[in-house]
Amino acid sequence: MSTDDEPLADISGPTVPRMILGNQLHRFREAAGISPDRAGYEIRASRSKISRMENGKVGFKERDVADLLDLYGITDEETRGGLMTLARQANAPGWWSKYGGDIMTDWFEEYLGLEAAASVIRAFELQFVHGLFQTEAYARAVTLLGNTSAPADEIDRRVGLRLKRQDLLTGPRPPQVWAVLDEGALRRPFGGQAVMRGQLNRLIEVSELRHVTIQVVPFSRGGHAAAGGSFTVLRFGDDDVPDVVYIEQLTSALYLDKREDVDHYLEVMNHLSTEALTPAQTPQFLSEIIKET
Amino acid sequence: MTDEHSATQGQTAGTAIDTTVPHSARIWNYWLGGKDNYEIDRVAGDQFSAIYPGIVDIALADRAFLGRVIRYMTDEAGVRQFLDVGTGLPTAANTHQVAQSAAPESRVVYVDNDPLVLAHARALLTSSPEGSTSYVDADMHDAGTVLREAAQWLDLSQPVALTFMGVLGHVVDHEEARSIVAGLLGGLPSGSYLSINDSVNTSPALEEALRVYEASGAVPYRTRTPEQFAGYFDGLELIEPGVVNVDDWRPDPGSPRGPRIPQLGAVGRKP
Repeated sequence: MSTDDEPLADISGPTVPRMILGNQLHRFREAAGISPDRAGYEIRASRSKISRMENGKVGFKERDVADLLDLYGITDEETRGGLMTLARQANAPGWWSKYGGDIMTDWFEEYLGLEAAASVIRAFELQFVHGLFQTEAYARAVTLLGNTSAPADEIDRRVGLRLKRQDLLTGPRPPQVWAVLDEGALRRPFGGQAVMRGQLNRLIEVSELRHVTIQVVPFSRGGHAAAGGSFTVLRFGDDDVPDVVYIEQLTSALYLDKREDVDHYLEVMNHLSTEALTPAQTPQFLSEIIKET
Repeated sequence: MTDEHSATQGQTAGTAIDTTVPHSARIWNYWLGGKDNYEIDRVAGDQFSAIYPGIVDIALADRAFLGRVIRYMTDEAGVRQFLDVGTGLPTAANTHQVAQSAAPESRVVYVDNDPLVLAHARALLTSSPEGSTSYVDADMHDAGTVLREAAQWLDLSQPVALTFMGVLGHVVDHEEARSIVAGLLGGLPSGSYLSINDSVNTSPALEEALRVYEASGAVPYRTRTPEQFAGYFDGLELIEPGVVNVDDWRPDPGSPRGPRIPQLGAVGRKP
């Protein structure tokens, strides 16, 4: 994916930054113990305007965001800078999230917020077992792969974060997770054979959860699988919030929520889901791979 | 996550999703406010509703009728087994959700042969722990296969509620539609129920919209005469209030009434 500074295509709308920024403003306001009326007064607006902002339904004036952050006592420059960037994105149709380095972690944490807010998560994984299903040993092997020179405590934190994500599956209102895994993701022995066998057994266990569906696309099927990389489609319970396509990159992530983009990814996902083994056939296939691993 | 098996499983169904023509289940999903539809479906759906604006009322009324019928089955008829022919894409209040919220042990078998519908159903229509939700990948013309597959989860010596909600119009020939209903009902015991809703040919605007829809290359949908519709229930004991407009079938007290639509519904009991 391009990392230069050319203007990027107008490929995703402002919904995600609005949702994220609104969610953050809500949290800060609650933490500061400030009423919506008071917050509205501060920016010369109504309480319902605050509500619409916090629900990600509207764009944001940068001045309003700055005034609210003052009111909420948010002074940390890095935090403010990140939120002001979001405010610009929330108003500018078409953006790619191109955060680098240290802020990436914040960004990924925001993805976790989106993931947690989703009612249906549909994922296609070409290379890795989906993060929601990873065992600790597998997560560690994959993390080491991408952070060869990182100190041990950083690896621990990254693995810890990944495992924390899985709380979603056992929470009180779990989303429906519908994952299609390419056989390649199951054959590539991250961490060695024992780790991989443990991981494959985990997949069988997880597939027994009522709200989890796992389908494997065997090598013998699925021309579509080769046509693109891994991606996730997040659907939210609110009919007014569009689906969001999430594509993870090496140093950033891409969010698409324009209807024509989402249509295209949903179409690919639907092809994959119909080509894959059915949910009922998949555990048997996983068992066979375990025997061969 | 589910018990699932079918006679035709193992076939690669992917190529069967045709995204170059409008797709009935996806358009229906669009009319119901869902997100599982593509541009071609939205265009066809809008074109349809431009000619016949009542289609969205039909979609909503059908859904509400389904809910009232299933609740009648669980609460008043005491039925715990359901055979739902023509599943459609998952939406709010699907058959198993209505049935299992009233009677968690209810066993529901969905029948469809559309790969997109089946993939969604298997993934998203999840059963209560006490009951079961299963899927048969079969053509409704093939009563033998449907019944044989359904028998894996349903006790066919006990009453079953057989439902065709807005699907029989996909069968162009009325006699053929009758024989599908008779064939499936024939495999169910006395005390079983049949429920159907479908469009009738009393609205010229609807007929016109269906003609335009068919010309788009989509699978045609045919209305019946009211007499033909009633004929599906020949030999059955009609449950009150009989064959009526779907909105008039045991409406919930105080619920708002939509505009009149050419959509009939009924429930009959096999003696």
